Amino acid sequence: MDELILELKKEIIEALNLEGMTPESIDENASLFGDGLGLDSIDALELIVLLERNYGIKLENANEGKEIFKSIRIMADYIKQHRTK
Amino acid sequence: MSIPIYVTGLGIITGIGNGKSENLQSIIDYKSAVNKIEILKSKHSEFPVSEIHLTNNEMCEFLGLNPEEVHTRTCLMGRIALREALQDANISSETKEKIAFISGTTVGGMDQSEQFYFDFLENDLKNNYIKAHDCGTTTEMIAKEFAGDFEIMTTISTACSSALNSIILGANLIKTGKVDIAIVGGSESLSKFHFNGFNTLMILDKEQCRPFDKNRAGLNLGEGAAYVVLESKEAIKRRKIKPLCQLLGYANTCDAFHQTATSPEGIGATLAMRKALENSNLQPEDIDYINAHGTGTENNDLTEGTAIMKVFGENIPNISSIKSFIGHTTSAAGSIETVISILAMINNFIPANLNFSTKIDEFNFIPNDKNIKKNYNIFITNSFGFGGNDSSCVFSKIIEK
Amino acid sequence: MNDFSLRVSKNIYIKAISHISNQKPLSEEWFEEPIFYSQKYVRSIEPDYKEYFSLLESRRMGLILKRALVTAINVTRKSKIMNPDAIITGTGLGCIENTEKFLTALIKNDEEMLTPTHFMQSTHNTISSNIAINFKCHGYNSTYSHCGTSFDSALYDAFIQFQLGEIHSALVSGQDELTPDYFKLLKKIPYLKNVKVCGSEASVSFMLSDEENGENIAKISDVILLNKPEIKKMLGNLKCNLSEIDAIVVGNNGDVENDEIYNNFINIFDVHIPVIQYKQIFGESYSISGLGLYTAAEIIKKQKLPVINNYGGKINKVLKKVLFYNHYQNKNHCLILLEML
Repeated sequence: MDELILELKKEIIEALNLEGMTPESIDENASLFGDGLGLDSIDALELIVLLERNYGIKLENANEGKEIFKSIRIMADYIKQHRTK
Repeated sequence: MSIPIYVTGLGIITGIGNGKSENLQSIIDYKSAVNKIEILKSKHSEFPVSEIHLTNNEMCEFLGLNPEEVHTRTCLMGRIALREALQDANISSETKEKIAFISGTTVGGMDQSEQFYFDFLENDLKNNYIKAHDCGTTTEMIAKEFAGDFEIMTTISTACSSALNSIILGANLIKTGKVDIAIVGGSESLSKFHFNGFNTLMILDKEQCRPFDKNRAGLNLGEGAAYVVLESKEAIKRRKIKPLCQLLGYANTCDAFHQTATSPEGIGATLAMRKALENSNLQPEDIDYINAHGTGTENNDLTEGTAIMKVFGENIPNISSIKSFIGHTTSAAGSIETVISILAMINNFIPANLNFSTKIDEFNFIPNDKNIKKNYNIFITNSFGFGGNDSSCVFSKIIEK
Repeated sequence: MNDFSLRVSKNIYIKAISHISNQKPLSEEWFEEPIFYSQKYVRSIEPDYKEYFSLLESRRMGLILKRALVTAINVTRKSKIMNPDAIITGTGLGCIENTEKFLTALIKNDEEMLTPTHFMQSTHNTISSNIAINFKCHGYNSTYSHCGTSFDSALYDAFIQFQLGEIHSALVSGQDELTPDYFKLLKKIPYLKNVKVCGSEASVSFMLSDEENGENIAKISDVILLNKPEIKKMLGNLKCNLSEIDAIVVGNNGDVENDEIYNNFINIFDVHIPVIQYKQIFGESYSISGLGLYTAAEIIKKQKLPVINNYGGKINKVLKKVLFYNHYQNKNHCLILLEML
């Protein structure tokens, strides 16, 4: 599990171009949007592509992302249950 | 004292028809062009679009052009619409007035570039298409349809409000006496580039779009071109031409909120409509019909409706989005929807908003789902683009004789 | 001619200018110590962006957006006009780097697994809207994309809106980036094929106001845009006698066809008039005319000529009126008359 969280942090830093951030500097329990990391709706769309490309999970509706992308830990849990690759 | 601006000609091509009369008749007959993709070579056939059912070669044939020369789809559609607008306004190379040509586009020559891009980089086979890629060259190529000289020519690229902003610049050029006539509008073909781009934003509906419906699920893209001929009072007197209607006022504002999302309270949209009314010396109750931007996305329709309620209060005029007929024609939407709204007004009806069934909870209004026969005088039309480029224009039947 | 054109025209003042180009960025050093390049392709020298926005804020911005925002921030700071009535950008190719990235991915991945960022930041209007979002400007916002007269069109729009009294301040800019691949493409077509100066990039912002109070760089007395090769007619319509003009700024770039138009223009003037060919240092770009106007404005402000074409240093007369001329392939032509205050 911790390995997946670390892997996910690295992938998010790269996909969202979070220059200057390290996996250690991101709290896996903190909110990704709003007050936490401060991501927005476009980042959510980027994360949807990341899920499809890296884990074979295809979301049909952008709204589904709202629950899944609450924090990195929740995202990792979701990936664990639904990954196809 | 405000300077009157008259409309003396219209030209249009969309999925529902080539020319004014075909477009008008399709609206009267409730004939939508949003259907399965045929001309655009994209694999995403799950999303319907509004296409013009003419290939580029067929458009060349219609225009009498050699298909072996360099053409892009945006240019060909633009030439077809420009030809009709020139004829409609009785403008030829003999016309003595100073004429501006202002065209809006974002896609430009992308329909060809996306086919030949690797050729551009790797060999010299398709070099002629490199120069046809950019927006400015697109306008220059469309302008070749006119045998005379344009005094001023430029290109506006504000995404989905480009063509409405062309109308605004054209009017300002006439008001400052820089030109007597301004031919303004836009042209935009479908391209895999922006079709896929809108898909990455997850805002394409797999069904025909449902503007202002509670269960709306996104927009359909469309293609087309339209030009409006604006003219000064002095020029119509000299040319002894009968105007179709008047442009009363307009506004260009910016939501300044987010690159793709609109502010929840609709700052830009509210400002655009309010300033356009102010610029027209009108009160909200003077408006008979709102031709809404109404793309059918969750975000746009909620924001636009919120803004409309702010501006018009309890008494919302008749309102419809005609994107369920023609799709969202992006950079050309402003002039296409202006032309269709003018045709509807002078034929005394309000065009329908197709596919509406359920009211949005937050709203105190519903769009009209049928064409309504009505003799009315004034409409406002909205175009809102990415990045919050929001514009509104107000047109009326001839009030100043 | 209608009633309007008989009215007295309004003065417009250039309050501040900021540039990022192939010369030292955000600096006037180029005027005395220009860098001359012999390469065919030169990218802009980047300033330190960290001084202007956080990494999180700029994570999605391509170079063109970063440059545009920095020059915009600089002119708002210098002029203290934080909320201009209009933001108008000219750009010939728009955000070509993001366009290339999205287009390449589209072709290579056969329309699959595409990401939104490159698309949403590929449209030309992203530049003006990104500036508006940064300053929370809800006023007029537009973008012109008309080849080598994109900046000129943006300025012309501002000019006529000042005349109409619709606006009292405007942030007008010219923005073009040039990727290595797109430089290669432009070298294949007439635009850059026979050009001898370097292919380059331009980001230049102007803050304009109709308020004379405060510091001014120069006054814009007239702007004429014409889509016909009738330069004598344009000069005839200029609000000034040609004999009053103290220097001209023109865009010779080594391409014979391009230069012939400028040479014909130069020959209309007295043989002793200083002729500044700004592209000799700034190179060629669709938005380079913004740097041409900047050159003309600096001549007025400094009352000196830049070190280009063997000029440089103080000259023996007051440089009261400077005329800038730009044309694109002898199709679109623009004259801008600047005056000392």
